Parts: sequence; C-alpha cells; structure tokens
Amino acid sequence: MKETRLGDFEEVILLLVGILDQEAYAFKIAEEFESQTQRSVSIGAVHSTLNRLGEKGFLTSEMGESTAERGGRRKRIYSITASGQRVLQESRDFKVSLWNQFPAFASGNLKIEWLNL
Amino acid sequence: MSNNNPHINPPKLAIRLLQGFIKDELVEEVLGDLEEKFHKTAENKTLKKARKNYWYQVIRYIRPFAIKKFKIPGFPGQTAYDMYKHYLKISWRNLVRSKVFSSIKIGGFAIGIAACILIALYIQSEAGYDRHYTEGDRIYRVANNYQSIDGNDMWVNLHGPLKPVLEENFPEIERVSRVVLWRWGNAGENHVRALNSRNNIYEEGFFYADPELLEILEIPMIYGSQERALTGPNSIVISKSKADKYFPGQNPVGEQFILNDTPEDTYTIGGVMEDFPVNSHLQGDFILTLAERTTGPGTTGWCCTNYTYYLKLTEAADKVALEEKMVALRDTYLIDKFLEAGMTDVEDLQKHQSYYLQPVKNAYLNPENIFDGQVHGSHDLLWIFGTVAVIILIIACLNFINLSTARSIKRAKEVGLRKVVGSVRSSLIYQYLAESVFYSILSVAAAAVVAFLALPLFNSIADKTLVIPWTSLWFLPSLLIVAVLIGILSGLYPAFYLSRFNPIEALKGRATSGVKSTFFRSSMVVFQFTATVILIIGALVMHRQFEHYMNKSLGFEKEQVINLLRVNTLDETERDVLKEELLRLSTIESATLGDYLPVAGAAITNFGFQVEERKATDPGFEAARWRVDEDYLNTMSMELIAGRNFSKRASDKEAIIINERMAQQFALEDPVGTWLIDMFDGRYQVIGVVKDFHFESLVTSVRPLAMVLGKGQSTLSVKVKTDDMQGSIAAISDVWTTVKSNQPIRYSFMNERFALMYSDLLRIKELFLTFSILAIIVACLGLFALSAYTIEQRSKEISVRKILGASVNRIFTLLATDFIKLVVIASLIAVPIGWYLMDNFLNDLANRIDLSWPIFTIATLSAFVIALITISYESIKAALVNPASRLRSE
Repeated sequence: MKETRLGDFEEVILLLVGILDQEAYAFKIAEEFESQTQRSVSIGAVHSTLNRLGEKGFLTSEMGESTAERGGRRKRIYSITASGQRVLQESRDFKVSLWNQFPAFASGNLKIEWLNL
Repeated sequence: MSNNNPHINPPKLAIRLLQGFIKDELVEEVLGDLEEKFHKTAENKTLKKARKNYWYQVIRYIRPFAIKKFKIPGFPGQTAYDMYKHYLKISWRNLVRSKVFSSIKIGGFAIGIAACILIALYIQSEAGYDRHYTEGDRIYRVANNYQSIDGNDMWVNLHGPLKPVLEENFPEIERVSRVVLWRWGNAGENHVRALNSRNNIYEEGFFYADPELLEILEIPMIYGSQERALTGPNSIVISKSKADKYFPGQNPVGEQFILNDTPEDTYTIGGVMEDFPVNSHLQGDFILTLAERTTGPGTTGWCCTNYTYYLKLTEAADKVALEEKMVALRDTYLIDKFLEAGMTDVEDLQKHQSYYLQPVKNAYLNPENIFDGQVHGSHDLLWIFGTVAVIILIIACLNFINLSTARSIKRAKEVGLRKVVGSVRSSLIYQYLAESVFYSILSVAAAAVVAFLALPLFNSIADKTLVIPWTSLWFLPSLLIVAVLIGILSGLYPAFYLSRFNPIEALKGRATSGVKSTFFRSSMVVFQFTATVILIIGALVMHRQFEHYMNKSLGFEKEQVINLLRVNTLDETERDVLKEELLRLSTIESATLGDYLPVAGAAITNFGFQVEERKATDPGFEAARWRVDEDYLNTMSMELIAGRNFSKRASDKEAIIINERMAQQFALEDPVGTWLIDMFDGRYQVIGVVKDFHFESLVTSVRPLAMVLGKGQSTLSVKVKTDDMQGSIAAISDVWTTVKSNQPIRYSFMNERFALMYSDLLRIKELFLTFSILAIIVACLGLFALSAYTIEQRSKEISVRKILGASVNRIFTLLATDFIKLVVIASLIAVPIGWYLMDNFLNDLANRIDLSWPIFTIATLSAFVIALITISYESIKAALVNPASRLRSE
C-alpha cells in the first residue's frame, strides 16, 4: 500500500500541475515553482515528487510533443487524476475548518479574502 | 534557434554521466527538460553559469527513483544492490567468526593509516603557511643571490637607504617596508612597564618595521589604522593579546610603554593589531616603528646591511623583470654609494650577485634556503616524513594482502561451492573486492579514532598545535575516498587469487597455496622487514648523531656557566657593582659582562676584516666580531693557543684576539703581532689566538671569529665552582634583589641553551623513533597472524613428528627457521640501503658521526629478536600441544 497523505511540497507541486495544465512537465513546473515561491529547486527534486505523486495515484502522465529547444526530445505531460483532485479538496477543506476554529479569525477581526473565493 | 549554434551545448561529460545512471525510460524526457533549462539559463545569464547549472541539475538527479537498477546477467529479478548486501553479510560473518585474526587485520591497518593521517596533517600544516593574504601573490621578500662555482648563497640583509631608492625608481613596487628582526636596539626581548607602573615585566617578540608593513602584510587592526599606526616617532603597535594583558577592556592607543627603564626608549601605542596567525612566518607581539628615528635601527647608511625587505608589487608587475631592473640599478647607481661607504669587493659583487624576490608563501618553508636567522620548517623533513608515511602505508597494505591470502584455504570451500552453484569468476572478484573495501572502511574509521587519541602526543613531539579537521568539507569525503581506494588496491591480489580456485580441488580440500603464493607471501614479509630495519637504522643514527652533538667537546665550558639576562636595565656602575658583589660569593669562580655567547639567542655582529699590509691585494672576508671583557675567556674556559688574553692596559683598546680558523683563513704563520683593519678602518693588533670553539650550531663548521675588548650590557655570565646549582642560584638571586628590586631575576643555564639549539634535531629523532616503532608494530602484527596461520596448516605434520619422537625444541626450531630466514634476508637487503641513505643524510651535517657496525648490528639484532618473540608464542604453543588431540579429529 502506498501512503496517500499529501506533503506540503507535494501539495504545491500538485496545484502547479493543475495551473500549468497542458504545459505541466518537470522543467516548466520547476520554473513556475521558483517564480511563485522565490525558492530555488532542482528539476530532479520536482521530478522525484511528480513520480511519487504518480505512484500515489494523484497524477497520470503521457508523452507530449517534442520541440527544438529540447533537442527534438518529447516531454512528459502530467495531469491531475480524480483522486488527486479529491485529495486537494480535502486538504483545503481541512485547513479552512482549522482557520474557522481560530477565534481571532473566526470572529471576523481579520479579513481573509481568499476564504470567500 | 540558439541550439543551432554548435558552441552552445550542454557539457558532454555531464550528459554521458546522466545517461550512465538514469533509467532508460526516463532518458528522453529528462535530457529534454535539462536542455530546455540549459538554453534558458544561457540566454538569461551566461554560458558558463548554464554549464555549471547543468552539472548541478544532473547531480540532483541522483535519486532512488531515477537510478537504473543494475541487473546481473542471468539472474532475473536480482539487482547488484541485493548482491552487495549479501557480500557485506558474508564479510561481516567472516569478521565475527575469527575475531583475533580480523582485529589484527583491521588493527594493523588502522595503526598504519592513523600514522599516515597524522603525517598528512603535519605536512599540510607545514606547507600551509602564509596563505591567508588576499593578495599574497604580490607580496615578496627581497634576497641577495650570490652564485659562483663555489656554491650558491642567498640571504636577506640589505642596506637601509635602499628603501627610498626602490620607491622612487620602480613604479611596479607599490609599497616597501624594512624589518629588523635580529637583536639590534630593542628588537628581540625587553623589560616593559606602562608609564604609570613601577614593575618591569619581561616580554619577547619585539621587532622594528616601517609603517608600510601593516599594509603589505594586510595585518588586521583592532584600534588605529594600518596607514597611520606606526607613522609617529617612537610609535609601537601591540598585539591584541598584549593589549588585553596591559590594558584590559580599553582602547590603549596613546598610552606609553618604557622599555628597560630607559627614558629614551619610551614608546607610544599607535594601534592594536590582531595576533599573527600561527601559520604566519612572521611572529611577534610588539612592532616598533623605524620611522623618524634618530639613532640605531633605521638610521644606518650604505655601510651596513641590517634590514629585511618586504615588497608589495602592483598587479601588473613582473617579478623576473623587476629582479633584473634592480640589478641594473645597482650597477649604475648603487655601486657608487657602496664604494663611498668603503666596500672592498665590488667586482666580486657585480660578477656574482643578483637579487631574488621570494614569494611570501615560501617564507616559512624556505625551499630556496635563504639565510634570515628565522625559524623555518624543514623542506627536507617534509620529504622524509612523506616517504615514511608511504612506507608505513605500504607495510600496512601488504599486511592486509598477506593476511587475506593466508586465509585462502579457509575460504576455498566457499569459493568452490559458489562456483558449483553457478557463480562466475567476475562476481567472485567483486565479492572479495567489496569485502576488502568493507574492511578498509572499518580500518579507516578506526584509524581516525586512533589519530584523534594520539594527536596530543604527536603535537607534543612535533611541537605543533594540529587539530583534526572533522568539520572541514573535504576531510571526511577524502577519508572515504582513501578508504575505498586502499580497499580496492589491497583487495585486488586476494580477489584474483581466491577466485582462481578450481571448484573440485577446493571442495575436496586440496586447494593449497602453492609454491608461487608462498613465494609472494614471503617476499612481502621480506619487504616489510627490510623497511622496518631501515627505519630502525634511521632512528639509531639520528640518536647517535644527537648524542654526539650533546657530548662533543666544544672548546668552552657549558655545564658550570649561568647567564644572568636582561641586565641592560641597570646602568653601567650598577652592573659593575653587581659583578663585584657576585664575585664575593664563595661558589662563584669568575664573572664576565658579555653579550656574545657561543649559544643561540645571543648577540651576533659580523664585520669585514683585512690584513693591513695586504690591504691592496686581498679584499679579506667577513668574520663574527665579539666584544668581550678581560674575564670572558677565563669564565668560558676557552683556551689560548698563542699570545695572551686582554688585560687592563690602555693599549689593549687596539688589541684583538682571533680564532684558529681566522688565522688559517688569513694564512698567517705567526698571527700574534699582525695588524688587522676592519670595514670601518679600525686598526687592531692581534695579541692572541684562541683555540677553535663551536660558537654556532654544530651542524655548520666553525667560522672566523675576532674578539675585541668591550663590556656587554645585557648579559652577565658566571662560572660556578660547585655542582649545587640550586644553592648557587639562590645566592645569586639574593645579590640581584639588593641591586635591582623592581625586576625579577632572569637567568639561563648555558647547557640548556645549548641543547635548545638542537631541539629540531631532537624532534626529528623522536618522530623517527615513534614511526619506526609503529612500523615495527604493524609488521609484527602481520608476522604474528601469518605464523599462527602457517602453524595451523602444519598442525598434523607437527603431531606426527611428535609421535615419531621429535622434541619440543626441535619442532620449535623447525617452525621458527622459516620465518627467521626471511628476517635474515630482509636484514641483508636493509643494511646496504640504510647505510647509503644515512650516509647521504649525514653528509649534509658538519661534525657528523661515522657509521659504524654496532648501529647495523643493533638494528638487525633487534628486528631479529622482535620477530623471534612474535612467532615463538604460536610456535611453542604448537610444539607443546598433545599430538593425540590433533590427530583424533581425522
């Protein structure tokens, strides 16, 4: 049995796969991660996580088309599976419920915009 | 597209590496991703960065998910990883099964490697001096370079007024600083008190320098600035530790020190510097300025060479070109100054002498052998110890090989069975290599611990403060690499040897080691003992040479003489009073005021001398020139072979006493009465010739020496009549306190100062001894295990012999002979090699000992005895065992 919990880094990567959609392959994801978080990451680390997410069943992948700057090599495009979407949803719901139990925030003293999305 | 450009491609080697380890199914997408990244980086940043990043990305792909599983051909489902796990398990079981054997194998190896670690650390620290400057490649010391058929000579001393000349004529010289390190003025040691204090405190480490030195050597300042700390007249820069000692918790800039109770020597602190790092060739705590001085250091003209020069060149400067330009300047300009100052051998100078700029990083080890009177590391010593380390390592590796093959019969059945169930030879080779690497890693780990434990001892012998750099990035990885390399190297022979066995023979128990492997094993033992005997010879020779120096009759008395130091804080009449008072003590035979002593750490002055009547034809030579009083020769028990001693006659102001060597060098048949002149045109008549005595290190030969009448200012030496040194010192101290109450007495025994001159030699001797003992231990561990093994092999033979009536004695002889034969062969090889090496070593020393047979006899005999003791334990045990118990199990 593979563990099906979602780590922090894994969650971010999973979300990035969703954001990038048809462009979700290891190099682009790593780049997007760097530009969104201002933290550096190696492609290998991202690839390893993508691989693990695939093993957990949150991602599927297939080979896409090749381009010239890749030396004519194809890329592997990842997409989120149904169980991947479910686990993201659960993670978000869980956090929202935690936020709601935090008195300072639940009483509405702080405006937290993204809760109303 | 950018990748059409053939020059913009990812590094090929990195691609090859990636393809080597990554799973086949990942190759395409990963190479594609990385190439995209590469082009992106190349566009946004630089090609160099992109290449570097490519390597980084490749390395970061070394992750379990991406790495190829190495399949073993013919074993589906099994990976190399599984096999190595199995090999390790088998190695561990073998290790545990024969604990004594394994611990000898690992222990011997560990001792050898520990010795190598220590030596490597030592070499690293000795070779790592003066690397801390940010612009170290632009810092130089200037040396005179004298080259002739008679030999080459380099020394640092140069003229004082050369500084402005260098500054004005060479734009490529950014800064010049002179330094005075020898005992002149207040350089060396002094008694110090802060202006408001009464108590004199003894301090060492004073030297003079121009203000520029702080900038040239990039000395970090805590208070004051590099540019200005030494510019004021009589300014001084002190180290942080001394500032903390005298002015704890405050900024001492502007405070004043008085040296030796002499008001003229009042110095104002201009700055506080960080202490010199331990790996700086220049050491000291007090820098006195040479700027704006009116007397002594800093004021001499073209007559005398008293200064060491440090230069900082500009970035564009060319060292060799500058050296040539300096010679050109000397020949066109300086020569006139030299002639004016009365130099006599100008032609010789122009013909043979040039300048040499020594990079500051060479200043400590000094491979150019530039004479500067400073403490240096020994270049030769590093080579000697490097060689010793390699030899010990080889002995240890041979041990390992030897012990592994010796066990071959035990492993033969294993090999046979493995082959029967289908193992191929290559995987057996892998197995034994893996096993040997496993042992070697264990040994290296143990060695690191041993080295750590032995470090304090090593530090005390080598007079170093080494630490094991556990936290350095390179240390542990390089240990690991060394472990793997040694493991593979020493595993190769056993691996090929063991994997060769014929399975049928092996399973029948008939695999024997064969003649060839016995020969191989024997030659390894011979090599080990040859190296060991040579090391013992080395240690013995060093010991003999050292003893020879210590006991050599020197031509003066060193056992009964005590030097009272730092009497220069007394004024002249006080010094005379002190001398008179001391002479009244019953234990004191004679006393002399003289700063020149025939041991290290005393004053040194050299003058050029000529015979007056040959003034025009003979340029003369340089000789040590001592100022001594009329009691000096008597106190030091030096012997006159002609003429008379100084007396209180007024005419003796022009008298001079020379040593035999000087008389010889002047080719004077009857020197007494001859008139000599010195480089300052002083005229002296020879009144006596003193028998040659060794006033400098015995490592060199006796130089010419001339003595003139004069009183010393800082040292008073007494000869005592009794052996009760403690009592004499107590009596002398009492007298001292009555004369000088604000300063504790400082004294030294002449014989101790003498021994100090040879501390280097003593250190070499002790290190050599230590490493020889280590080599012997490692070699003996090997021999012990080997004898145990061979005897086990022959246990049946021994039992049968015993039943047939052989005595214990006879069996012991039988067993021991085999090994003793090897040791004898080793000795026969070692003696001529050792003789040759040691003879070469000793040839560099004056007053060397002759190599005599006792040294070699002792070395061989001790190796012989040690070997005999090592093997007798197992041999006697085997000879005493009840034969029935052995044969019963058949």
